[in-house]
Amino acid sequence: MKIIETTNLTKFYGKNKGIEDVSLSINKGEIFGFIGPNGAGKSTTIRLLLSLIYPTSGQATIFGKDCFKYGHEIRNDIGYLPSEVFYYDKMRVKELLKYSASFYKGDHSKRIKELADIMELDLSRKIDELSYGNKKKVGIVQGLLHQPKLIMLDEPTSGLDPLMQQKFFNLILEENKKGATVFFSSHILGEVQKLCNRVAIIREGHIVKIEDIKTLRNDNYKKIAIRTNNHNQKVFKIDGVSNIEQIDGEISFFFKGDINTLLSLITKNKVNDVIIEEPTLEEIFMHYYK
Amino acid sequence: MNIILRELRASIKSMVIWCGVFTILIFMYMSEFSAYANNEEMLAVLDGMPEAMLEAFQMNSFNLTTLTGFYGILFTYFILMLSIHAILKGNSIISKEERDRTVEFTLVLPIKRSKVVIGKLIAVIINCIIIDVFLYGIILFSIQSYLPEENFMEFLLLLFTSTFIMQMLFLSLGIMFGCALKQYKRSGYLGISIILISYVLSIVSGLSEKLEFLKYITPFKFFDTAVIKNEMALDWKYILISFTIIVICLTIGLITYKKRDLYI
Repeated sequence: MKIIETTNLTKFYGKNKGIEDVSLSINKGEIFGFIGPNGAGKSTTIRLLLSLIYPTSGQATIFGKDCFKYGHEIRNDIGYLPSEVFYYDKMRVKELLKYSASFYKGDHSKRIKELADIMELDLSRKIDELSYGNKKKVGIVQGLLHQPKLIMLDEPTSGLDPLMQQKFFNLILEENKKGATVFFSSHILGEVQKLCNRVAIIREGHIVKIEDIKTLRNDNYKKIAIRTNNHNQKVFKIDGVSNIEQIDGEISFFFKGDINTLLSLITKNKVNDVIIEEPTLEEIFMHYYK
Repeated sequence: MNIILRELRASIKSMVIWCGVFTILIFMYMSEFSAYANNEEMLAVLDGMPEAMLEAFQMNSFNLTTLTGFYGILFTYFILMLSIHAILKGNSIISKEERDRTVEFTLVLPIKRSKVVIGKLIAVIINCIIIDVFLYGIILFSIQSYLPEENFMEFLLLLFTSTFIMQMLFLSLGIMFGCALKQYKRSGYLGISIILISYVLSIVSGLSEKLEFLKYITPFKFFDTAVIKNEMALDWKYILISFTIIVICLTIGLITYKKRDLYI
């Protein structure tokens, strides 16, 4: 059974396009990455799936049920972590989590404690005293406390330090092993690559590509900058090099292919400095998905 | 159920403030009343005031030197205050979720939007009842040392009944604005404007017979305290009108809230 399925999902805010013709199909047990720059329509898609907003046209189902008719039933089995977490300020963390848990069947107090211990969250504090990162932790506990079958994450790592990010990723992987499907939206390619099986790339409201993460990895472009006084950019024009530019003594380009070929070329020519880095998502979009 | 309890807990502070304000007001007014009570000279002063002014402030119909007269006038203001409370509370209990951006939490919980609205509505109704009962108690306490007129207790109950109907009417208007309007700032202004306009209309309608038709437009004339005193009953016609308005507003609110995009 498909966990999430959308067909030509379209949302316009007045004349402004949110998303257009988004068709996705996510299988049970997948960790599905949803990646795109800010304002590409990631949050819009998630909010549609949660029926916080309604589509201009198109359909969406979760667990085989229409999102907009049976939203309240579907949400029983969804855990959602929004990109920015806002809760009732005056409540204590414990009260808020208890309140949230009271809407789901069963007793979740043990799980709340477990999750809070893992995320090192102090349950006795007031929400409005918490830092951004700590609020995010409340969001994580609140989103996972009812052991949802589908976990939706919207830019989940912002505000968490690297150690906490790791703990959080482990939590998600654990839930995934237990059978939860994960829908993971982010603008950071690296974290999506680390976690996901498949990735959809969204840009300006359109799905540009849906790919297996392995394929994307083989597509691994590197961004190279070489500082040299002696050479002309022509030296580096080999197979796999694109978008080559020379500004004074610095030659920069993208490279895709066997890295050894490039390294031996660099050693053959005397250079002052080399920088090899991952291109940012924006750069990938600009150069390869146009 | 959990929504009702949470909302009630969240509004404890405002309830305490409202009750406190009424306590202070009642004791201030009662100390004023101690000077009026059965005071013949006061009556003479009032008789000397211009007719139109007395009419506008309802003083024509009431004898300020009796408890019935005094509370008859006071209640026109209490009703105004409690109506403002009801419309603002009704509006904000819905729109605050969008204002404080908690809507992405509350409405992702597995619950229908209509149930959220109904839970919140019940919480405000309880809120209103608590304030009313408190006010009733404080009034009873404050008149202990006076001998109330024959029908005073009956009159007071009628006043409270009409107050409660007015509260429900404005509460349902507030809920409707909160539900239907995506811009939470506008819905608050709209609520206050409607109250003030209808209140001014209710005063204007007393000034001239030509303006009497206004009494069908402004809810503040539905249950005129002077009429209640004379008839010792509420007008069924207006109870029916109020009830219809309440049902219409709540229906519109529920339907629009169910269908609209939340403002995130």
